[in-house]
Amino acid sequence: MELFLTGWLTSLPAFAMPLLLAAVGLILSERAGVLNMGAEGYMAMGAMTGAVVTLTAGNPWIGVGAAILAGAALAGLFAIATVVFRADQILAGLATVALGGGITAVIGRPYLHKTFTGLPRLDPGALADLPLVGGLLFRQDLLAYLGLALVLLLWWGLRATRTGLKLRAVGEDPATADVAGVDVQLYQAGAVLACGALCGLAGAYLSIVSSNVWVEGMVNGRGWIALALVIFARWNPARAILGAVIFGGADAALPRLLALGAQVPTYLLSTLPYLLTILVLVLAALGGRRKDAEPRSLGLAYIRQDRR
Amino acid sequence: MSRLSMTRIMRRSVMGMMLAGAAALSFAGASSEAEAFTLKGKPKIAFIYAATARDGGWNEAIDNARQDVEKELGVKIAVSESIPEETTAVMNAIDLYVKRGFNIIVTTSYGYSDGALEAAKKYPDVAFLGASQITNDKNLESFYARTYQGWYLAGMAAGGVTKSHKLGMLAGFPAGVVNWDINAFTLGARSIDPSAETIVIYTNSWWDPVKEGQVAEAMLDQGADVIANNLSSTAPYTAAEKRGAWSVGFQLDQSAAAPNGHLTSVLFQWQNYLIPTIKNIIAGTWEPQEYGALVGMDQHVVSLSPLSAKIPAEVKAKIEKTEAEMVAGTFSPYTGPVKKQDGSIAVPEGQTIDDEGLWNMDYLVEGSIGTVPAAQ
Repeated sequence: MELFLTGWLTSLPAFAMPLLLAAVGLILSERAGVLNMGAEGYMAMGAMTGAVVTLTAGNPWIGVGAAILAGAALAGLFAIATVVFRADQILAGLATVALGGGITAVIGRPYLHKTFTGLPRLDPGALADLPLVGGLLFRQDLLAYLGLALVLLLWWGLRATRTGLKLRAVGEDPATADVAGVDVQLYQAGAVLACGALCGLAGAYLSIVSSNVWVEGMVNGRGWIALALVIFARWNPARAILGAVIFGGADAALPRLLALGAQVPTYLLSTLPYLLTILVLVLAALGGRRKDAEPRSLGLAYIRQDRR
Repeated sequence: MSRLSMTRIMRRSVMGMMLAGAAALSFAGASSEAEAFTLKGKPKIAFIYAATARDGGWNEAIDNARQDVEKELGVKIAVSESIPEETTAVMNAIDLYVKRGFNIIVTTSYGYSDGALEAAKKYPDVAFLGASQITNDKNLESFYARTYQGWYLAGMAAGGVTKSHKLGMLAGFPAGVVNWDINAFTLGARSIDPSAETIVIYTNSWWDPVKEGQVAEAMLDQGADVIANNLSSTAPYTAAEKRGAWSVGFQLDQSAAAPNGHLTSVLFQWQNYLIPTIKNIIAGTWEPQEYGALVGMDQHVVSLSPLSAKIPAEVKAKIEKTEAEMVAGTFSPYTGPVKKQDGSIAVPEGQTIDDEGLWNMDYLVEGSIGTVPAAQ
């Protein structure tokens, strides 16, 4: 039992971190009022670019940097469409996913299935052998620690800084924010780019940290689960950590249970994220709480002349 | 889930029904008297793939064989990639090829089965070959390989090196053609090390290297010291190599991903089916088999990549002996007694499983840890 729990906890970040990073990126974008469906595409860009640059440059850290830029670059296109030209956010988001899938398939083609050495893994010896939590706390890739620190920083920044306040104001009521002197388009574009960058980092986690290879289609729906996670977290980065642990934990438990030869309802477990998201939506609707909930202007393009 | 993985599920999971389907369709299609197919005009060959040619597995193995056919016959072969596995899509591709004068067309995905049959009826003067497909006609032959033969030998190698007596095998979906590989691997391992057990995990996806790597980690944590992978990604080999464990690959030689611990890979050698078959088509002596071609080691369509030098010599000798028997057609891994996981008899003593039993294999053999998920 202890072996199972230790192994399960140690493998948790591999499943939870990509979901968490992407979800927090989406939260930034959506708190600024831009509904962003493109996570699956940004993550593919990050995963592919991370692998290709690591293979050619030979240094995984350069790969991580390139993955962040690649995710942000695709998000830049989305920002031009939705923030500058005020295109429909849902349609533009879906187009972004398709674009990300296509670009990565074409550019990544010569690098398919080529393995490389990923990021170093922390190994402080005795500490890592602590029962249960040793592996979880001390035997992870450096990017897991950096990613968690980044998420906490963004959580604090969103709730406690002036920039965070302005960003939230833009998502709640862009007209009022505009009157108060906030540059609505600048904040929205910045939030969308940050979203792309975080999703790119999430993609890099998949290819550079977890599997050391690029395979077409390897994001495999994680961008959509991150989108569900945003709703589960009620647009709060701190709650997204909890959600990522639950969503990722279920994924991580499955192979561990199967390796023990346990009878597991495989298909039921893989629907768990969606069931939980529906449950949270229902509970939120029943509770009628508005705190930290959906930004009021989410998905609406802001045009100054159209003041209500 | 991507379109590609969905269609791959369909291709593999329904293949268990191949025999029944093939029987019904070919009775409707093929005439009872076999007659040789006559090719009109000079051979013009085209291959149609459902994914990219360099996909690290299935299509790449076929595309390598395509290049061998080109060299052997001195012809240039046209290729279409990523054609959706829908009847209309594959028919469009075939229509265009036939209009341009192509008369030998090879399609390589289960999902093309209906389209290929339709095309074969529409173009009786064109020869069609279909990898992992289930339809046959007087100018259409489906083909697949007896991969379980290679997996039995790979299992022997695993049984020869394991110290923990625990092996792990990753698979995609619980179809007959997947289960026959898993069970052959376990049977082969237990022929060398009777106490060996195989942890079997179906990932329920074809393309998810992150999940596959983590599944391998879970097996290693449970004490497995050989990781066998029935899927295409390299992540399980990387995971095994990092932990100093052994690995067994599939479809292509995967030793580059695990230079130290890779024991062997089970390989497709489609050129050994395609070259003679296409030569027969050109010579006018081709008679498509009523139930399609199920080819194996005796035709050298399944083989092993060079065995690791770290496999003990006496085990190596046993593997080579068994391989020779399979090539000669005198040995089947599924000659009884074969017991199921629950101890009941799957194949009685003295009998050998027939092809129908192979296609419909929906159980794991004794020595497996894990279960076949509920039938889809």
